[in-house]
Amino acid sequence: MSKFAEPMVRLIDELKKLPGIGSKTAQRLAFHILRSSDDDAEALAAAVRDVKASLRLCTICNNITDVDLCVYCSSATRNQRLICVVEEPTNIAAIEKTKHFNGVYHVLHGSISPLHGVGPEQLRISNLIRRVEGGQVDEVILATNPTVEGEATATYLSGQLRRAGLKVTRIAMGIPVGSDIEYADEITMLKSIEGRREL
Amino acid sequence: MALKESEAIVLRTYPLREADLLVTLFTRLEGKVRAVARSAKKSRRRFGGALEPLTFVRAYYEDRERQELARLDSCEVLESPLSSEVSYPRAIALGHVAELLDELLPEREANDAVFRLVVAVLARLRGTEVWMPITYFELWMTRLMGYLPELSECIACGRTLNGGRAFFHALADGLMCAADKRLASSEISAESRGLAAQMFRAPVESFAGAPWPKAQAADLRKFLLQTLQRHIEKKLVTAAMLEKIS
Repeated sequence: MSKFAEPMVRLIDELKKLPGIGSKTAQRLAFHILRSSDDDAEALAAAVRDVKASLRLCTICNNITDVDLCVYCSSATRNQRLICVVEEPTNIAAIEKTKHFNGVYHVLHGSISPLHGVGPEQLRISNLIRRVEGGQVDEVILATNPTVEGEATATYLSGQLRRAGLKVTRIAMGIPVGSDIEYADEITMLKSIEGRREL
Repeated sequence: MALKESEAIVLRTYPLREADLLVTLFTRLEGKVRAVARSAKKSRRRFGGALEPLTFVRAYYEDRERQELARLDSCEVLESPLSSEVSYPRAIALGHVAELLDELLPEREANDAVFRLVVAVLARLRGTEVWMPITYFELWMTRLMGYLPELSECIACGRTLNGGRAFFHALADGLMCAADKRLASSEISAESRGLAAQMFRAPVESFAGAPWPKAQAADLRKFLLQTLQRHIEKKLVTAAMLEKIS
């Protein structure tokens, strides 16, 4: 016999499917929802429903958006000739935090990962190629992660994009700001030496 | 328990809980070891790029009482695949080496010959020239795992194949002569068999420098992959991706 009533068990089971949520946390969240007001519980349910019903991918950049085109692709103030390529939609927020990038984005929704059977054909590369072939782009910044998979993706993309005759750049890699050189690992140090700039 | 120190190759990592990584290492000391790297996903400060697949590291880890997984304390990078350009063919080749090691090696069984092979092959796996090191690696792995049949005689009649035509089949345990070949067999050329014999006599470095197109020894690689996949009883994900490289 179950410890809780059936609707409560169902809610706990659903919450357990979320990343980082174990049985105990799911149970705590479920009881929190039970104790909250009807309005709050309904608002949570509506938010979950809406996120699935109204969000889609931007037809130009593949970013997650509720309107097509997304806020970046439809903006008149952003430089549409400068594209920053990222692996996931969440990477956009990290770049936007800098307040120094005024271009637009292209989201690949992953990176080349041979061990997981993910090749270029599984990524959203074809519409990036179409975007740059129109001649409306001056530069593409490859901002994939500094991992083996991210590097492989960047190298593959640079080969494809250079054929279109445009400037292709890669984000710099090196020592994080505020850290200590003494504690930098060998490969990070190597990349910072390689990517040094003249002052 | 005391902290163990060993040279190791990082094979792959899996997310574990919110912030940890489960790391599969091929250590020189104990063979394949699975260990938990605490907070490795959340913070890169402790491990940096040391947990990237096929990074050659000095690993410090400890076994935990009555627990299957070790605890990875730290890793010092000795050689990283990120120190030179990661081209698309190289990324697949690196993935192929990692997948083969992960699938073929038993847990907690040291194998110094395989370890030396991997270190030597990784040093040659640069740029877009992947076919020679991959052929060398597959050939020696098949042999060191004990799966390589005799390449100079027919498994059906025992006649010597030297100089003559030889065939292999996905379900056969070795090479066959023209008279005994099965339906839908593939041929392996005398050149490829000669190359395999050379590879058994010389280190991987001695094959570097000369151009090695994809077509060279493709029949040998197909035979080796069929042999390996038959023994592990599954298709290798990276084998299909390697096949697609032009």
